[in-house]
Amino acid sequence: MGIDFTIIRAIARRELGSYLGNPAGYVFLTLFIAATGAGAFLQAGFFARNLADLALLNKVMPAILMLFVPAVTMNVWAEERRRGTDELLLTMPVRDIEVVLGKYFGALGVFTVGLGFGLAHVAVLSRLGDPDIGLMLSTYLGYWLVGVAFVGVGLLASMFSANATVAFILGALGCAGLVFAGTAPWADGIVGCALVAGLAALIWVTVQGSADGAGYAAVGGGLIALITWLTGTYASFEATFAKLSVDHHFYGFGEGIVRLGDVVYFVGIAVVALYLCTFMLGRRHW
Amino acid sequence: MTTSAPVTIRANAISKVYGDFVAVRDLSFEVRKGTVAAFLGPNGAGKSTTMKMLTGYLAPSSGSVELLGKDPGDAEARLELARRLGYLPENGPLYLDMTPRELLEFFGAIRKLDAAVLAKALERVVEQCAIGDVLDKPIGKLSKGYRQRVGMAQALLSDPEVLILDEPTSGLDPLQIREVRGLIRELGQEKTILLSTHILQEVEAVADTVVMIHEGRLVFNGTVAELGAEGSLESRFYALAGAAPAASSTPTPTQAET
Repeated sequence: MGIDFTIIRAIARRELGSYLGNPAGYVFLTLFIAATGAGAFLQAGFFARNLADLALLNKVMPAILMLFVPAVTMNVWAEERRRGTDELLLTMPVRDIEVVLGKYFGALGVFTVGLGFGLAHVAVLSRLGDPDIGLMLSTYLGYWLVGVAFVGVGLLASMFSANATVAFILGALGCAGLVFAGTAPWADGIVGCALVAGLAALIWVTVQGSADGAGYAAVGGGLIALITWLTGTYASFEATFAKLSVDHHFYGFGEGIVRLGDVVYFVGIAVVALYLCTFMLGRRHW
Repeated sequence: MTTSAPVTIRANAISKVYGDFVAVRDLSFEVRKGTVAAFLGPNGAGKSTTMKMLTGYLAPSSGSVELLGKDPGDAEARLELARRLGYLPENGPLYLDMTPRELLEFFGAIRKLDAAVLAKALERVVEQCAIGDVLDKPIGKLSKGYRQRVGMAQALLSDPEVLILDEPTSGLDPLQIREVRGLIRELGQEKTILLSTHILQEVEAVADTVVMIHEGRLVFNGTVAELGAEGSLESRFYALAGAAPAASSTPTPTQAET
């Protein structure tokens, strides 16, 4: 028996309806438009450049999304767990992966609606000049793909806490790791240590079959990574984790270049995050 | 109910351990088809944890569960069982931003009821649970009693063979309690029902059999008449709850039968 898309669609519609039926959802969407508008047009140099493009917004967009997307996803699991509705949902005839995908597409739908409103910036550019439509399309595809990855990260973060604020902070930290990777060698090192620590905890939980001691595994893994990095045991430590940089993979879209490798990077992050979400949901059976 | 009826719910020496805390300890009991069984015990006895294991939401740390002859721990079997099971979790959790109609339509879609079946099911559960007046009001604005009834409607939506109800009368006023008990009695004519409670009047009013646990252990398993055979239900309840370890180590005659 495969995945049932009827169920995924029903869950995604519920998520989307819940968000868009809530005044807070519109506040977030308004803030998103305002922040991206400021990033596009209120920066010094926009008019001096005399170019109808979104190059200035491209520089800050990953940072804006790193805060906006976790704000969308923070409640997805946290609210279910706080209200106890996860128990109701997970005792329905649904597979864990269907619930995860339903929630993911619901949150991605909210982000897509937000980004849809963000197309207003293209209208403004059209008013001011003659933007290249192909470039605009690739740029917005790039924004959307950053969202594809960040929604996955935010959803995963939301699984760790029944408190929405904690889920937001964890989600923003996860996305920040990807945003700051590649910006400086020290940032690459920190991101590398954090990822190794997380991986160590995950392997521990998988092997042990319980979360007991996972914190020690994370600290141990992080320390080994730190020593490896600082002592130069693995000379390419920083360079390896710099490749995770969102900027590095987003850059091409802002230039009108759509590379398959970059698409795979963003979708790959989402797939890994969703796999981990399903893994976390399955832990209740342990 | 007859002892020859097939077993619908069976717990085989199930335990649930969280770290050092044992929530349910080596618990075994059966509920036969067409029986209304009361799952009795003081707060914190392990009733809700046991119910979560019976529905397949949680897996036992040890032991096994059988529901309609299948293991809800098996992923594919759980899907089939979930279609045949109605479950009201503790405190009746619901999506507060939805109206009862939206909620029932949502769960109908998840249960893959087609439009015509869902329309009839909606009509039936709205009448059974008397939620017609609030069908299009946000659940967040409903009283606790109405929310509990919406939760019951959700459990009954697919006309399931088995109902597992965690404190179904919690938060209801005396009139509503009487109505829900009447509904459970009516449903019990053809369905197997396991309902948790710590209210003795409820046991007397609706149940055929009683499974009582205390501190995660089985302390009584038999009929309501057997529970009250040595005095009032209340005095027996206190005796079983107050002297649980001793009682569990010396099974009652009715325990031996199962």
